[in-house]
Amino acid sequence: MNKVFSFFSDNIEKFSANPEVMLVVGLIFGILIFATLLFFIWGKIKPEANLTELKQRTKSWWMMATIFVAATVFNPVISFVAFGLLSFMALRELASISKNVRDEDRRVLIWCYLAIPVQYFFAYKGWHNLFLTFIPIFMFIWIPFMLILQGTTEGISRSMSVLPTQLMFTVFGISHLGFMLTLPPLEGFHAGGRGLLLFIVFITEMNDVFQFTWGKLLGHIKILPKISPNKTWEGFIGGVVTSSIVGYLLHFLTPLTAIEAMIVSGFIACAGFIGDVVVSAIKRDIGKKDTSDIIPGHGGILDRIDSLAITAPVFFHIVFHMYYLHK
Amino acid sequence: MKRLTLSLLYCVLMRTFLKVIVGVVYRNREAMKKVPQFVVVANHNSHLDTMALMSACSPGLIANTHPIAAGDYFGQSPMRAFFTRFFVNAILIPRSRPKPGETGPDPIDLMSAQLAKGHSLILFPEGSRGEPEKFQKFKRGIGILLERHSDVHYIPVFMKGLGKSLPKGETLLVPFNSLVLMGDPRKCEAKDVDGIVHEVEAAIRALAAETQ
Repeated sequence: MNKVFSFFSDNIEKFSANPEVMLVVGLIFGILIFATLLFFIWGKIKPEANLTELKQRTKSWWMMATIFVAATVFNPVISFVAFGLLSFMALRELASISKNVRDEDRRVLIWCYLAIPVQYFFAYKGWHNLFLTFIPIFMFIWIPFMLILQGTTEGISRSMSVLPTQLMFTVFGISHLGFMLTLPPLEGFHAGGRGLLLFIVFITEMNDVFQFTWGKLLGHIKILPKISPNKTWEGFIGGVVTSSIVGYLLHFLTPLTAIEAMIVSGFIACAGFIGDVVVSAIKRDIGKKDTSDIIPGHGGILDRIDSLAITAPVFFHIVFHMYYLHK
Repeated sequence: MKRLTLSLLYCVLMRTFLKVIVGVVYRNREAMKKVPQFVVVANHNSHLDTMALMSACSPGLIANTHPIAAGDYFGQSPMRAFFTRFFVNAILIPRSRPKPGETGPDPIDLMSAQLAKGHSLILFPEGSRGEPEKFQKFKRGIGILLERHSDVHYIPVFMKGLGKSLPKGETLLVPFNSLVLMGDPRKCEAKDVDGIVHEVEAAIRALAAETQ
């Protein structure tokens, strides 16, 4: 019992010794409280306004934010398990909706699932090189070989590209979130890995919300009408600008200077947009609006992490190259 | 003892496994709590079907809920029959009724006896597992049974995806998102056997259409 207690108190102590992270966690819940109150009062003043979707989304955000904070700020082992589970659910969802998975691919898909614990083990250990090469090199060799062993060649080249790409997206991309936790604090930068993780998740998700909101408020000119009819240039540019400003203000979560953080956040916003439309295109290909209905108001796991799968590696490698490579 | 084993096995372990690892999503699971006695009628593509439906039961009902299993397949060896009876709580029946002059138990009587005791059944009228997302011809047994027990509610269930996770003839389970969609409990409106079979099949097909 004492052990359990000291486990929690130690971790909470570490957490409270990180004022930057605490500040932003406070900010996240502040925004959620504000949004909840706003929609509540708005609904009271204008009962005819249809706020069901917004309310449902906010409710789901509460859930997701709570799970995210609980899984990341306390203990690294819990974080790696949680991100691994997230990768697993995302891969399962992608494989389930993909019409390109043949009957023969079932047995190979198991290897894709098994790659998840290995990838997260490398991330946990901080084995940088193996972490970076395991999927793009080793799995890219192993999966085609396993496909050949199934004994049919019809449609095999398609499976050879579909399965590894799904792995890159759901496992390689998302595992960067966990890998960020292994980055140490630097001189003049105290927030460490948790700060970086919080920064990328916050910027990416806020960017999604901003692009959605600006698009609703001002949107006229469609950006990719055939793929994502709700996306507009106004929403996109509004999202990039707002995300850059938020990045500028939150730069203390990263080793970047304020100006650098602003530029990088602009990049993140563009990358998030790319992830979003790529998953939209996949969904359009199979004729579905949402990948599943596991998160009320948001659709499936993929609909929520599509942008993160792209922004996490982009952000990680920019920061790593600028501040960690030669340290 | 059996009740405790089954509750632990299905309501805790199997349900967690199915939801977290296999990716099963239940919809309208409350349907099973609305009536004390029911006959679950579902499409059949996988051994996981029985597991998913047993895991949907609440702990109070599970010991009185029996999946119906084919005696020739699950009763191959005494060991297998014991496992199916004890750990799946199944009733083993022959696939067809005895012809005039033949002896042997009548499958309808075996099922009927359970309903008379107030117990519930899980039934796959397609008989054996078919290809994923394709319906086979429904057998008449469900009609005869429900005609005899017209006061018992039936619950139509459509399952999708489990046949991809563990298809017939495969031993390797590969997780795919799956859906278990339950209809509300209802009594048969049709009065004759063929009409009931038709009604039940239509109810399951209607659920299937909802998922499109």
